[in-house]
Amino acid sequence: MLRVANLSKRFGGVVAAREVNLEVRSGEILAVIGPNGAGKSTLLNLLSGLIRPDAGQIEFLGEDITHASPEVRAWKGLGRAFQIVQPFHEMTVRENLMVGALYGKPGTSLKAARQVVQQVIELTGLTSKADTEAGELTLLEDKRLELARALCTQPRLLLLDEVMAGLRPAEAMEAVELVKRTRASGVTVLFIEHLMPVVRALADRVVVMDYGQVIAEGSYEEVAANARVREAYLGRSA
Amino acid sequence: MDLLLQTLINGILAAGIYALVASGLALAVGVVGIVNFAHGEFSMIGAFVSYLLFVGAGIDPLISLGLAALVLFLVGAITYYGLIRPVLAAPELNQMLLTFGISVALQNIALLLFGADTRVVSTSYQGATIALGGISFGVPPFAAFVLSVGLLGALYWFLGKTRLGFAVRAVAQNRLAPGLLGIETQQIYLLAFGLSAALAGIAGVMLSVMLYASPTVGFAYTLKAFAIIVMAGLGNLRGVVPAAIILALAEAFVSTYVPGGGGWVEAVFFLVIFLALTWRSWRLS
Amino acid sequence: MMLAAVLLFLALVLPGLPLGQWRAFALDTAQFAFLISGLALAWDLLARTGQLSLAHGAFFGLGAYAAALSAPALGTVPALLVGGAVAALSSLLLGLATLRLQGMYFAIATLAFSEVMRTLVLKAQFTGGSIGLPVQPAFGGAYPLGGYYLAVAVLVICTLASLLLSRSRLHYAMAATRQGEAVARVLGVPVVRVKLVTFMISAFLAGLAGGVYAMKTLFLSPYDAFGLGRAVEALVIPIFGGLYTTTGPLLGGLIIVSLETWLRLRIGEGYLVVYGVVLVLTILFLPKGLMSLFARRKGARHA
Repeated sequence: MLRVANLSKRFGGVVAAREVNLEVRSGEILAVIGPNGAGKSTLLNLLSGLIRPDAGQIEFLGEDITHASPEVRAWKGLGRAFQIVQPFHEMTVRENLMVGALYGKPGTSLKAARQVVQQVIELTGLTSKADTEAGELTLLEDKRLELARALCTQPRLLLLDEVMAGLRPAEAMEAVELVKRTRASGVTVLFIEHLMPVVRALADRVVVMDYGQVIAEGSYEEVAANARVREAYLGRSA
Repeated sequence: MDLLLQTLINGILAAGIYALVASGLALAVGVVGIVNFAHGEFSMIGAFVSYLLFVGAGIDPLISLGLAALVLFLVGAITYYGLIRPVLAAPELNQMLLTFGISVALQNIALLLFGADTRVVSTSYQGATIALGGISFGVPPFAAFVLSVGLLGALYWFLGKTRLGFAVRAVAQNRLAPGLLGIETQQIYLLAFGLSAALAGIAGVMLSVMLYASPTVGFAYTLKAFAIIVMAGLGNLRGVVPAAIILALAEAFVSTYVPGGGGWVEAVFFLVIFLALTWRSWRLS
Repeated sequence: MMLAAVLLFLALVLPGLPLGQWRAFALDTAQFAFLISGLALAWDLLARTGQLSLAHGAFFGLGAYAAALSAPALGTVPALLVGGAVAALSSLLLGLATLRLQGMYFAIATLAFSEVMRTLVLKAQFTGGSIGLPVQPAFGGAYPLGGYYLAVAVLVICTLASLLLSRSRLHYAMAATRQGEAVARVLGVPVVRVKLVTFMISAFLAGLAGGVYAMKTLFLSPYDAFGLGRAVEALVIPIFGGLYTTTGPLLGGLIIVSLETWLRLRIGEGYLVVYGVVLVLTILFLPKGLMSLFARRKGARHA
């Protein structure tokens, strides 16, 4: 579904991505993990088009999107939820979702968008907050909104940037259920995560990054047993 | 040949005062992150301070320079503390509207107080010229140029070599999330905005001799300063001097070589802004 | 909505009221208020995308000159449309160069743009330069109230544009662009196109208002038509009344233009000081404008 080849990006002297190769298969849930500063968020920014790579290629659904703008990528079915939630504060939850529903697929009418929004509101459990201004939500509700807004663009592939960060364990498990339901509805998911229980519960496959490079790939158990991965995590904290 | 040389000299001399005003603006934009549309009005106040001191007490503009710098530092500090600080966390649109409102208010207060007339500080040396070979230039522009270069040197020294200057640069580079401003950062903002206004004020004193004091004298310099810092990259102090030279030379050449060029000079800064923006926009996409 | 309807009714019947010797003054002031409120509504449309324009005085002036120059050949209504089109075209060129960049670049460029437009009109021959340009009244003077009702029509068009846009798809794109450009793009909003389209609509309406203004004053000079004062009016009114609303600029226009007319009679030059002070005070103490005093916020109403 998504193929990344030799993707590189440097900021000044810092290499944020070094010849990253990655493949996301249709229908799977893929986790990208790694220590702080490993280049995970840079990778997502490169994938969603907010920054341009210095070298390499991104292919989505068989098309080269390396130089496509973020909005074009959204239209092709690439959705994204941010780590730091950035709701449109002066809009209600419903209005926030309308933006995604209207513009995620070009030419969506107001009426069609309202239907999509209503479905997503029910799916994500935001019914009681639908007409609250986004500035007044709790963190958990903000996270739900962030995810819901991405879902409203009706993505084929959803990129999630640490959407569980800051949640209590029970809340995180609620969110895990939500992501599973999303996949069940036919959406492929790539997510970045720090919380290992979440990774274990969700991921079909895990990719490990360190210093801007992919250092391991496989099932949760395989990766957890990998010596380089252990070194990257333990070596850093020791 | 002489005409070319004369044009070059005119341009270079004008660049000094341009760089002075623009450096002040670059400080406000780069350190505090505020696009100050009232920057030129600080120059206007400086020009009137010089005029009033000269007419009222016979004080030479050379001495007024220091006084005006002090007055404008205070004006800048008060403006920052009372008006800018409350909107630091507000949307950019609100910040720009606020400084634009300050600009409109100051211009029109001056208009109410002094009328629209232009007032010149006519010192004994105002009309004096220096002639070298076939070219000549006025003493006031030359003095303003020398002073500007000196002041810019002092500014760069302050920012580059002193502890406080280092702190200012650190604050400029490390844009903190609004609302998380420490007390020290607040003080640096205050200092930077005060300095910014003081530089504009000093330039205003020079203007009162070279040009005149009037309610709208500063506004043209806001625009020119914007043209310069857009060329240099917003908030980039290093690029200000070369950008000032480019703008001043461009104006000098248009004024000398374009038929009926006098009126067109006022359009040069726009062309500069437009070209700089187009180039930036093109590079971005 | 209510206010708009009441206003429209008053505007339509005003010429028929027995105002005696005040009639001419009242109609003239009302006509000016309608045009400036229309301009303010146009400015507010662009502000909804988060852009600060200081060029709306220039669009108003461009519309005025273009309509004045083309009216003898084309007739009143086509000339007014030409005025709007010229303003829209210039906004397209200005927008293409600047709207990709951060908001502050745009604000600076619009300020420079209006200064240069004045220089150009001063320097050009066909505009009458600094001497000024005499303008024919609307419809060749065939209808004494023609200009007045044109101003009413402009205000109606601007009000409708404002109302319709806040119920359209574009409304969501504009608000999203203003509140978070990067997020909006990732959600599929083509922010540059949204800003450009809004800019052109906004400039067109400003130019339209300018054309009617020209046929009202019957004489244009670069200092009047391209003075920064008009740009100041265009932005202070919506901010004072309430940004991103339709009622706000209408209400603000009524109040501010009344205030302005009174002050002009009192102190003449320098009356703009009020605009500066109102602007500063509103931003500091009432950033959501007068509207926030009347209407509770949406969220609170449902809670």
